[in-house]
Amino acid sequence: MRLIRIPLAASHCSILLGLALCIGLSTPAYAVWNSADGSLEVRGFVDNMTNVRDEVGLTKQRLQGQLELFKQAQPRGIFSDLSVGATFRLSYDAVYDMNDDEYGRKAGGPLSYSAPGNPAFFSYINGFAPPFTPPTNLVYAGTFGPDGTGADGAIPLPGTGGTINSPGNPNDGLRFAAGDIYSYQDGGVMLATPVRPCDTDNRGCLKDYMDKDRDELRYKEINDDLDFIRELWVAGTIPMGTGDDELAIRLGRQQVVWGRTDLFRVLDIVNPMDFSRENLYAEFEDSRIPQAMINLEYRMGATKSLEDLNFQLIYKVESFRPHDLGQGGEPYAILGAGNLFRALANCWDNGCTVGNFPATGVAVDFPSHSIGIRDVNEPDHSEFGGRIEGVYKGVGFSLNAMYFYSQFPTLRGGIPTDDPFTPGVENVPHPYDIAFDVEFPRLFMVGGSADWYWERARTSFRVETSYTTDEGFADTSKPNLYSESDVFRGVIGFDRPTFIPFLNKDRAFLISAQMFYQHLMDYESYLVNSAGIDLPPGPHTGRIGFQDWEDNVLLTLLIQGNYMNDRLTPQIITAYDTRAGAGAIAPSVEYKPDNNWVFKLGLNLKWANHKGAVEADDNRSANPFPPATCAPDIALGPDPTPCLTAYSSLGLSGFEPLGRFRSGPLGTARNEDEIQFTIRYQF
Amino acid sequence: MKRLVILGAAVAGLTGIAAHAEVSDAVIKNAFAPYEKSTPTAPGYQPGMRITAKNVDALEGILDPFTFRYVKKGWFEIPTTPTFSLPQHPNYIEATRKSAGKVKLSPEGMLVDFDAGRPFPQEPDAKDPQAGLKLMWNFQRSINAGDSETINPFWWTFRNTKTGQSERQIRFDWHFLNWKHRTIFDPKPDITPNPGQIFRSISATVLEPFDLANTQLLIWRYENDLQRDDGWLYLGFQRRVRRLAVGQITDAFLGTDAMIEDFEGYNGRLSDYTWTYKGTQNVLMPYEKHNELPELDVEPKGDADGFRFVKFGGQGNCFPQVTWQLRKSYIIEGKPKDPNHPLSRRVIYMDSESATLPIVTQYDRKGQPWKYFPICKSHADHHLAKNKGVGVAIDDCALFFDEQAMHCTTLQFKSYVNPQENPPSIFTVQKMRATGR
Repeated sequence: MRLIRIPLAASHCSILLGLALCIGLSTPAYAVWNSADGSLEVRGFVDNMTNVRDEVGLTKQRLQGQLELFKQAQPRGIFSDLSVGATFRLSYDAVYDMNDDEYGRKAGGPLSYSAPGNPAFFSYINGFAPPFTPPTNLVYAGTFGPDGTGADGAIPLPGTGGTINSPGNPNDGLRFAAGDIYSYQDGGVMLATPVRPCDTDNRGCLKDYMDKDRDELRYKEINDDLDFIRELWVAGTIPMGTGDDELAIRLGRQQVVWGRTDLFRVLDIVNPMDFSRENLYAEFEDSRIPQAMINLEYRMGATKSLEDLNFQLIYKVESFRPHDLGQGGEPYAILGAGNLFRALANCWDNGCTVGNFPATGVAVDFPSHSIGIRDVNEPDHSEFGGRIEGVYKGVGFSLNAMYFYSQFPTLRGGIPTDDPFTPGVENVPHPYDIAFDVEFPRLFMVGGSADWYWERARTSFRVETSYTTDEGFADTSKPNLYSESDVFRGVIGFDRPTFIPFLNKDRAFLISAQMFYQHLMDYESYLVNSAGIDLPPGPHTGRIGFQDWEDNVLLTLLIQGNYMNDRLTPQIITAYDTRAGAGAIAPSVEYKPDNNWVFKLGLNLKWANHKGAVEADDNRSANPFPPATCAPDIALGPDPTPCLTAYSSLGLSGFEPLGRFRSGPLGTARNEDEIQFTIRYQF
Repeated sequence: MKRLVILGAAVAGLTGIAAHAEVSDAVIKNAFAPYEKSTPTAPGYQPGMRITAKNVDALEGILDPFTFRYVKKGWFEIPTTPTFSLPQHPNYIEATRKSAGKVKLSPEGMLVDFDAGRPFPQEPDAKDPQAGLKLMWNFQRSINAGDSETINPFWWTFRNTKTGQSERQIRFDWHFLNWKHRTIFDPKPDITPNPGQIFRSISATVLEPFDLANTQLLIWRYENDLQRDDGWLYLGFQRRVRRLAVGQITDAFLGTDAMIEDFEGYNGRLSDYTWTYKGTQNVLMPYEKHNELPELDVEPKGDADGFRFVKFGGQGNCFPQVTWQLRKSYIIEGKPKDPNHPLSRRVIYMDSESATLPIVTQYDRKGQPWKYFPICKSHADHHLAKNKGVGVAIDDCALFFDEQAMHCTTLQFKSYVNPQENPPSIFTVQKMRATGR
């Protein structure tokens, strides 16, 4: 690992640290402030986080402040308990100013596709005559080359009118969408994504979904959703009957946490997540996106047969919010989905050049409205759920159900598009065309969890399962390029405090491990495409159908120690995706010299068995625009009949666009090794 | 005729049991009013004297070895007062009178035929191999914290004993509830429903500092001492409840110098140790009248009731500045059955009147002195006004001192015995989640 640009980052960092220190030192040295009668409690923190990524430099330089208020009110009317809680957070991430050639207004640049030419293909596509007119204008995206071979350069499909150039689509501010993940050595599809903030470059910005301007990136909580109000709720308790039964009501923006897992979520689905904060690695407490809800709990306490019993109903009042996956150009963007979406959205709006398409060594200019992402359809209906939770013979359990919308997006094809091989506007669906709307399908989840302690092993165990209906998955065998599948998820984990005397005789180490399992119930995969064509075997061909794994297992392990009366806490967190062959390990040390200061230094290192990509069917061998997109082997073969109708992929594989879903959040972050330092003043 | 014989035998048996259930006034007075006629004396000791490094040698016989050593080193001095009684609640005494006579130990060492009160109020018999265990049962079923108690605020301060530096301070809110064998507050004797047969619940919440705030601990101790406790931890930064591996009670609690097993003097299963009664001795103990202490601390301040906490001083500001008094004590040695336990033994000085554990000393696996755990108790009538007459020795301060590491954790209590703040509903997993923020 090489860490570069640290001196530059550190110099900027020192300014912000100084600011944080000044703020901290000017605060009275009380840990928590309470009003004279003790009913109002105020606490919070100011911190600064500096992350530096290998080969990239500064990825986070965030100054953040959080204020938490809790007011215990006097009982009133039918309420035996009344309280109000609020959490406010503001932050400024200077990375967009200090490293603006990576993540700010100067990010990205012009791109040149490596298109050395494919004479056979050029010859074929133009009726064995010289190919299309070579591009001449180098200013605009899609006009890449020539590189001197005489047979290269992007092919401007007829629908482009000869070029996709326009003042609104310059060859600047671009990056290859998967360029931070791998180097396309597999000859996979290459897409260019704009990476500058959306007020600097609005190409590919998806309205109200991935369209953050520079200020919304820098001041993350200041937005139309008023995210600086992390939580604001009023809670009350109404005694019921003559026993200890009580009805608890909490109204307002809040976090509702289900489940018993760390790092990955199975039942904890009520609040969406902000993965743009630090990918998977932020505390859920900080990365959950609180929402306004009605949260009712009927607490029975002990009953005749159960030591504890509780019923919960939740109804989301605030409109639907999906996960924040991070948009194209953000330093933390899970699965690299933000880059892919922005690249595809730009393709739809402005047209684009696609490298290694339809075959390795060829680049093609697509016109607008032929491929890409057209729109985002966010639902506006209700989400609600319920939970029964209790303790029976010492075993904690829960039964959960939620009727909600997927917080992850689904790309649904089948939208009307224009055939790029014809100049006219058709605006009709083309089966197997990679043109999508982003949807968030309605889901229903049922699940349950349990935990218990096993004395013989001195270990506590937890299990959690869920069954979700109709989740959306990319499926290259379907004309609309997606399918719905029910999904079973399960996890078993354990916590065991374990003395390792030669490391610490007084304090046990916490060893916590989890094994996650996911199974797609309706998984389908084929070796024959929709035209009845057998898919040829080979390293770059494969099955069509679902591109996510049918079965997958993820493993996590936490080892945490404590020294100096828990003021020095070293820990190692590691996670491994067995199918992706990718993992992450995050050693860190936290030091608390007193009640107010916290220092944390950590590494976040990733690895992947694959050298660059987990391949998946990329659909580039499908025939969505017959006969122009018919494979040469078929068109020139003994029976060219299949060329006349659309057919599904022949299984040609690469990382982009669907390999990222096979690589998972660990594999797609394989190049994101970081050193991270946080200093916090808490009060 | 045969039926009549059987019936007669049954009646006789029942009568016998009924007659045997009650214990004599002499036993009760000896157990609960040991200072009614006289207070303990010792050669060279005068109540009111201040024990220092200069005069402690003459008083070694009335000090536990740890206290003696620390005073001898000049680490702290002991102001003394005349011995006074800490009267136990009359209902508890009456319950003892009514039922203690029938209580036995099973072959596994469990209580049999126990209703309420002190199980074994009789003087321990050195010849009785179960005398130590019986005394520990007296502690387990004592009204150490009444039927229910609140400690809020409860300040735990980490201190470097060499330098006196205060490294970290945790503010807690603690609650205790006895589900069974209740004698003071309704419902009596048991809270129902209680399908799990929980004997006692402890709930603790960290109020500060920020990084630990909202951490909550819930422990259920079951009536069956052979059954391991259940425990849960709510972590504020995760906003979820984690099941605790409660078997590991020898782990340091939140970085303090205390193990979970150390709470209240002893917080494990009695069956985890072999208990031996080592004799009866008059010993100086930190029992005091809070409101009459010569000096109270000015920190932490800002208490809503104007309550001021016990002051700590001496070496490293680790030692409670309270008055001590000479009291009748039972000495109990406990040896853990687990060969991997970090202790080789703990020696407990039990107060005979209250059956609480004001001085606990611990030895490491090599047999070397390791930790010292005095718990100050205040007379209830000389503490908060709302504690007046509750009949419980009020927890007032404590020290966990690791003499090998020269590090201590000092505990300052604001305790009050009350049922209002300790309903069963707060001792549930759901309540942890609901109140967690």
